Amino acid sequence: MRLVYLLLVLAILYLQLLPLQTAPRSWAGPDLILLFTVVWAIRRPEYVPALSVAVVALLADFILMRPPGVMAAILVAARQMLKHQEPGLRDSPFALEWLTAAAALAAILLANRLVLAVFLVEQPALGISLTQLFMNVLAYPLVVLVSRLAMGVRKLRPGETDAVAGAP
Amino acid sequence: MGPLKRLLLATLLLCLVAVFLVWRIDSPRVERFRAQVVDAVVPSMDWAMAPVTGAINLARDFQSYQRIVEQNRELRRELQQMKAWKEAALQLEQENARLLDLNNVRLDPRLTFVTGVVLADSGSPFRQSVLLNIGARDGVVDGWAAMDGIGLVGRISGVGKSSSRVILLSDSSSRIPVLIQPSGQTAIVAGDNSIAPFIDFLENPDQVRPGDRVISSGDGGVFPSGLLVGQVAIDPGGRLRVRLAADYERLEFLRVLRDHGQEKITAPGGVILPGAMPEGGAQDG
Repeated sequence: MRLVYLLLVLAILYLQLLPLQTAPRSWAGPDLILLFTVVWAIRRPEYVPALSVAVVALLADFILMRPPGVMAAILVAARQMLKHQEPGLRDSPFALEWLTAAAALAAILLANRLVLAVFLVEQPALGISLTQLFMNVLAYPLVVLVSRLAMGVRKLRPGETDAVAGAP
Repeated sequence: MGPLKRLLLATLLLCLVAVFLVWRIDSPRVERFRAQVVDAVVPSMDWAMAPVTGAINLARDFQSYQRIVEQNRELRRELQQMKAWKEAALQLEQENARLLDLNNVRLDPRLTFVTGVVLADSGSPFRQSVLLNIGARDGVVDGWAAMDGIGLVGRISGVGKSSSRVILLSDSSSRIPVLIQPSGQTAIVAGDNSIAPFIDFLENPDQVRPGDRVISSGDGGVFPSGLLVGQVAIDPGGRLRVRLAADYERLEFLRVLRDHGQEKITAPGGVILPGAMPEGGAQDG
């Protein structure tokens, strides 16, 4: 499954880079790499180890012309925090999970903008960042569904823990 | 979580933060590294990207067949108008040729170009740039201008061995010195992530009307002068913007203009002494 994550991110990067949209838009679609990482970190943190998150996010930073390292570091930290949340979310309803994810996504955006502001790096307009956050939160259930149906990423059920602990 | 894992995680985070700090301190070096990373990754995906892009564009074109009759009528009407324009253009061309001949004007003979195919776009809604399949091995240099058939598209920023990045005029970090005709005022065209970049540092906005031509001025030695950028337009907020001449919806082939810079005159003229006069001049005097 760790390999699937890497391949998935490469596929998303590839789709984003297709030169289909060269005129600027006033809105932004969801950031799928970020979303998949968050979904998988909430549901199955062992599928997204810190190292692969770091490598993937750094590659995305470089290719998508973002300040390198910031998003990667924030994403690794976010993954770590979500991992600590995961046991508590196992039996909880989906709404709570969604809320946690929304908070995490907002925190990621805030941290990113804060770091860039402190280091006086030029930033994209706030409006377009907020639309992206909004789209991210909206797309979250969809990404959960896709991960679950296409890739079999489910939450752990009680009693399943021991079997998984031995698996890689 | 064991202490070893914790340590590894901390190291990982430190490394990422270090990358950012190095980028902040020594940006050109890291940007060069970025160009190399992109150069290594993206052209290798090209074999997969070209057919998919082609297929999607084909599907879009197919949709446009549905209104082909309507389009045909439109085109006929436009053709009629164009014929009138063609006549005017021919006359102007002849006149221009005569005037150039009269004035013995020499156009820059070194203004040649190399054409590249658009490999990829920036992949993010926050940046406006495209990646071309020509790079350092084709002699592309940072700062050269990129045009589509008609107008200026952007500027080369970041060159790898076989790829180079073009920052489009619509990117929020793009600033281009321009000249507005016919009033002849200089200004800066600044991108703001919208399809129409705005005009900044204009001395006298009253002399500028919507529809005026905007061309590159060549100030600062960034670009050759006289490249068409677009037309002046006014947005609902009353701000002057440029309606770009290049077709940003479909950027497929871009031509990159070779620019070898202008020769500069650095020293003031020396004192002319009788002994230093050239032979011909001395005899005449």
